[in-house]
Amino acid sequence: MTERNEYKELTWQGLWKNNPGLVQLLGLCPLLAVTTTLTNALGLGVATLLVLVCSNATVSLIRHLVPKEVRIPIFVLIIAAFVTCVQLIMNAYTFGLYQSLGIFLPLIVTNCAIIGRAEAYASKNPIKQASFDGFMMGLGFMLVLAALGAIREILGQGTLFDGADLLLGDWASVLRIEVFHFDSKFLLAILPPGAFIAMGFLIAAKNAIDAKLEKKQAKQTETKTIERVRVNFDA
Amino acid sequence: MKQAISNNARTLALFAIGCTALVSGVHWLTKDTIKNQEELQLLKTLHQVIDQNRFNNNLTQDCKFITDSQLLGSNEQQTAYIARLDEQATTVAITSVAPDGYNGKIKLLVALNVDGSLSGVRVINHQETPGLGDKIEIRKSDWIEDFVGKTVSEDNESRWAVKKDGGMFDQFTGATITPRAVVKAVKNTSLFFEKNQDTLLTNSGSCRGNNDGA
Amino acid sequence: MSFWIASSPHNHIQGATPKIMRLVILATLPAIIAQCYFFGWGNLIQIAIAVSVALLSEMVFLAIRDKNIKAQITDGSAILTGLLLGLSVPSMAPWWITVIGSIFAICVVKQLYGGLGFNLFNPAMAAYVLLLVSFPLQMTSWQPANELLTQSLSFLDHLWLVFTGFTGDGYSAEQIRMNIDGITMATPLDTLKTDLTLGLTVFESFEKPVFGDFIGLGWEWVNVGFLLGGLFLIYKKAIDWVIPASFLFGLFFFSFMSYSISPDSSASTLFHWLSGGTMLAAFFILTDPVSAATSRKGRIFFALMAALIVFLIRKFGGYPDAIAFSVLLCNMSVPLIDQYTRPRTYGHQRGE
Repeated sequence: MTERNEYKELTWQGLWKNNPGLVQLLGLCPLLAVTTTLTNALGLGVATLLVLVCSNATVSLIRHLVPKEVRIPIFVLIIAAFVTCVQLIMNAYTFGLYQSLGIFLPLIVTNCAIIGRAEAYASKNPIKQASFDGFMMGLGFMLVLAALGAIREILGQGTLFDGADLLLGDWASVLRIEVFHFDSKFLLAILPPGAFIAMGFLIAAKNAIDAKLEKKQAKQTETKTIERVRVNFDA
Repeated sequence: MKQAISNNARTLALFAIGCTALVSGVHWLTKDTIKNQEELQLLKTLHQVIDQNRFNNNLTQDCKFITDSQLLGSNEQQTAYIARLDEQATTVAITSVAPDGYNGKIKLLVALNVDGSLSGVRVINHQETPGLGDKIEIRKSDWIEDFVGKTVSEDNESRWAVKKDGGMFDQFTGATITPRAVVKAVKNTSLFFEKNQDTLLTNSGSCRGNNDGA
Repeated sequence: MSFWIASSPHNHIQGATPKIMRLVILATLPAIIAQCYFFGWGNLIQIAIAVSVALLSEMVFLAIRDKNIKAQITDGSAILTGLLLGLSVPSMAPWWITVIGSIFAICVVKQLYGGLGFNLFNPAMAAYVLLLVSFPLQMTSWQPANELLTQSLSFLDHLWLVFTGFTGDGYSAEQIRMNIDGITMATPLDTLKTDLTLGLTVFESFEKPVFGDFIGLGWEWVNVGFLLGGLFLIYKKAIDWVIPASFLFGLFFFSFMSYSISPDSSASTLFHWLSGGTMLAAFFILTDPVSAATSRKGRIFFALMAALIVFLIRKFGGYPDAIAFSVLLCNMSVPLIDQYTRPRTYGHQRGE
């Protein structure tokens, strides 16, 4: 496989085919808990992305130095260190968001997507590909978070980017869009059961798209085969 | 075998040291910013309940720990922040707890002027039902502003209740327990202030210095 | 997920479903009449909305799924779901509440699980929980009995109230619910719960007009209506008597125990039986053949468990009534109950 193709494959895997949120169903706990607003979702998404890239790069860098027997504790150490750093930085520079994410920021450590990538990919591949893989997986996870956050925020309170100033600083409060206004909120969307239901619909949508693509592909191959058969007949 | 174990242990230890170094480095770099942020946050809330013209001291430093399981609603330590204008105490902001909310404790910040009237109340933390009980938050409704300017005295003590119980404060449609709990807690905090006014205002101390003085 | 462990007899009578559904629909009549008599036209309007939206969503969804629309529409199950939902929402709830509920009941709870016979949960109750959790304000605005209203409401007033939020004379739902003292009125269950937290005893609380002379003004007769309908269904052998009997016995047992321990803070069995949705649940919801347990032993356990949960939430929980929550929790445990109460095959030894 050429290097270019490999990057293409990594992108495809991370964003769609092997998406940590929609396909591997990893890290569901933070995924479902913090996606009440788009801002919260993006905050956690960026944090996870950062940790994934850093941990993948580091793991790949040290992959020859680490004895096989103790690799897991070392990976965990590295991930925990990066999570703590991200947590400290967010505490310092995005204090409001840090408070609204609460316990789920330190819980990134337990997100299986991260240790999974470290073990499955980064520990076997050179640093460039490993960081790229971390970036794409993180991006895939973040996109799912953002989609879920947007759906729940629109349904739940009819806004988008509510509280964006917590993430980006005071200027960002202009980003807040009121999609529509109603007096009574659709609370289910904000509550945890709504998260599960919305997640179910997202996964269903992904599967439906996949099924459609497959059908299309099958049709194409089918027509090709028939053509060849006919040619054989004539001959 | 032994060789392998000690090798592994050494590698592990090295990584542990490396990671700890990294974390302590970041901690050292962000320490001051975090502390500033926390104080800023506290100050922001305090400013909401205490008029800025009524003090010129450093609010976050002039505070003391208090405990009163009866009137402040919890066995835990609460904090009183004292606002002074030219060394003269004007307002005290007390953290207190409404223990009987619909879904558990409601944490409040109650600011009282020295004459006993309320300067402002804010809910710091609660788990009330969204859409019903969360109207105690200033973001959702200005109900909590009803307290401003009111005083608990012997003649009106019975009126410190929600309308459903014959008092003077509105309840919310569909939720009576939450406002009832908040009204009761604010009333109790006022009573606490009345009772302990002298000790609260006279000896000034700091509740912050102790922690990071070392 | 079509693992079902049906108890014998295993023969199926074609056309049985529409017949049973018709009977069940017929059996709700006494309760509907009682509701109209005591609470006005509101519930009829809600039922009309719920049934039509349920039918419409069923048709649309069946069309999308390429199913035989005619055969499945005429089995009456969508009508029954709409009817039960319409009966359970407060009569003054705005129209969109009922619409959202019906669509959710049919499209998500029933059709997404595979249609009639495959739904894990009772569609009407799942939709009710969705509404109660999402719109607590509207879903708890029950109208007090006509007798307690300060102004009388005509059919048109109800219609305006449901669709615009105001009566023809411009009163809002909120104002209608006020009594002469300007205090919003709640259901008997709700009132009792609030009073108990205030430190009143049950007897003191019962002095209030909401409770009427007996259990709860109007409510007792609606429940009696459901009871009559239910007895009719048992007589016609449309439902299994085991479930309502065990459910009511369970409720009697738990409330009697609590009453004997602390009579001041516990309501009587009769109050539990005749208030809220007790009878509706006992005869019309828990007996749903799809989402209930299948074997006799399983059904007894299923109904007792429902009674326990209803009692616990009514007594200790945050919500005044708990029928819907308890039904969903029990529905959820049906596969497990069925697993452990599978009837022993003839000729096999126990424990093999």
